Amino acid sequence: MKEITTFTTPDGRSIDGSKLPESLHFDKKSIFVKPEDSSFGKKTNIVVIIVFTLIVVVAFLPILLVIISSFSSEESLTKYGYSFFPHELSIEPYRYLFRSGGTLSRAFLNSVLITASGTLLGLAIMCPCAYALSRKEFAHTKGLMIYLLIPMLFSGGLVSTYMVNTQILHLKNTYLALILPGMCSTWYLMIMRNYFRTSVPDSLIEAGKLEGVTPFQSFWWIVMPICRPVVMTVAVFQMFSYWNSWYPALIYIDSNHRDLYPLQYVLVNIDRTVQSLTREAAYTSGMMNITLPTTAMRMALVVVTILPIMILFPFFQRFLKTGLTIGAVKE
Amino acid sequence: MDKNDQPVKKRKYGSLSSSAKKERRQLDLMTLPTVIWYGLFCYLPLFGMVFAFKEFTPVPGKSLFTNLFVNSPWVGLKNFSYLFRNPLSRSVILNTLTYNIIFLAAGIAIPVALAIFLSEVHQKKFQGLVQMTLVLPYFISWVIVGYCVYGFLSTDTGLFNSVLKYFGADPVQWYQSPQYWRTIIILLNIWKTSGYTLIIYLCSITTIDRTLYESAALDGASFMQRVRYITIPHLRPTVATLFILGIGSLLSSDFGLFYQVPMDSGALQDVTQTLDVYVYKSLMINANFSYSSAAAFLQSAVGCVLLIISNLIIRRVDKNSALV
Repeated sequence: MKEITTFTTPDGRSIDGSKLPESLHFDKKSIFVKPEDSSFGKKTNIVVIIVFTLIVVVAFLPILLVIISSFSSEESLTKYGYSFFPHELSIEPYRYLFRSGGTLSRAFLNSVLITASGTLLGLAIMCPCAYALSRKEFAHTKGLMIYLLIPMLFSGGLVSTYMVNTQILHLKNTYLALILPGMCSTWYLMIMRNYFRTSVPDSLIEAGKLEGVTPFQSFWWIVMPICRPVVMTVAVFQMFSYWNSWYPALIYIDSNHRDLYPLQYVLVNIDRTVQSLTREAAYTSGMMNITLPTTAMRMALVVVTILPIMILFPFFQRFLKTGLTIGAVKE
Repeated sequence: MDKNDQPVKKRKYGSLSSSAKKERRQLDLMTLPTVIWYGLFCYLPLFGMVFAFKEFTPVPGKSLFTNLFVNSPWVGLKNFSYLFRNPLSRSVILNTLTYNIIFLAAGIAIPVALAIFLSEVHQKKFQGLVQMTLVLPYFISWVIVGYCVYGFLSTDTGLFNSVLKYFGADPVQWYQSPQYWRTIIILLNIWKTSGYTLIIYLCSITTIDRTLYESAALDGASFMQRVRYITIPHLRPTVATLFILGIGSLLSSDFGLFYQVPMDSGALQDVTQTLDVYVYKSLMINANFSYSSAAAFLQSAVGCVLLIISNLIIRRVDKNSALV
């Protein structure tokens, strides 16, 4: 095994390590062996690696600035500004965030609630539909496909969507306005349908049918367990998109329904939020003229908002990559 | 659509056994929630597009339907002609188009170049690391990006102004200076999206048969020759797919990038206002239903037509590259 993967056969009759899975292809010893399909020599390789390292570092700087600033003391920020090398480190901004309680913890809970329920509800209605679409005996495949594809090409636009959601469905100032509109997507339905069709052997379902298994049972007990990867991929993407969403809140939630704000929208509205936080802090501490470390606190709030994404990101990598490339890559 | 979509035997419900009938009914039932969702959230707004051809004059207390269909007169294309005659909306349309064309070009050239170089790096682990760091911005909302930018550009506390001060230069009021923002917006868009497309192109490169490269190496092909004769021809279908999708949203823009990142600064309006921002503002601030829905209709219609046309052209040139 090792010889095939680590090494290049000079006579051109390679046994083709490249056809093996990548995990076999590169073990520790092979790191400095030039793969035969790369045209880079050792020197070029190192130069390219250095250039890419620079690109990666530069691309990460904006996020790093926010993280570092959130750990700086207010005085050093007001005096010297946001910087990669703060004059004084401090966790004061976070202490204030956690102590301020009310508004922010409510916003955090809202975001969690919206993300969880939106993702679950969306999957609950999309998965069975994708399953039906993947079955040959489903009678309306063509009609339903057209029905699902038209909205992909043509959408009503903001005005009519807004009017329908507020005046017919009465979603203004409700949690439902933040959950329902993003629940389904034709793209995800197609991805799941294709996956269901290619990775579930038809014979399995036919055999179940002979035993008297109903379509819903075979969907739940046969298809769902087999197709967990694709369902997880869609779930991860939906989770990120709900966690990041703030546009629905901007449109559908009035400023006198602050208790419905998700975390992202609190950030949009930060100046007003900071005022109300100051008031809250003044109230709880009994002092009237309290000043909050607002310059640093903004950044701390940003970090709290991206923290779940940063933590989950490495775990979800696998799903993210399949999700991003599915459909777009043509061979 | 492929052949598998068709049911093997098209039979009417009547001729089926009762268990098969039940089975089909259950399958129908499983699609029902999705069908209802699409009805409520996609098709109802689709009918709302008549807004664009009406002078919306709502009578308070009446339902949306009566207000729209009974109380509001048809005005034909008046809303659209206003849109094209009004200098503000004309500059907004022009802005949207210019930005999107630049995004489209940069969104192909940069990630393709990055993918080609990255794919030749010997260490696969390094490739993975680069991909994952570069794609991170894609999963961060524009609100957060707005704050990252604020850290650099804030007039009093921003990093750029500290650096300028350090070198004795005058600080710049970034959020009041429109001349810098075209560049900033283009850079931000590249930063946020190229990681995602890089992964797509890289994945597409890995599907290329490696023996092609090996025989090219045996023939003594240079790096540029390999790229030109093997990699780029293989990437063409993927580029075409992303290109067609990009053309389809030529009049749409990322609301967050153009509204939230410049912090809705009035001084920057000339360079940051795109159709989506314009529609939002005329709806929410001026409550101008007819013009904003005309703009929205234009977005949708132009996108749809361009998508179909570009797909047709690409199918003529290279059948394999087209979407359908």
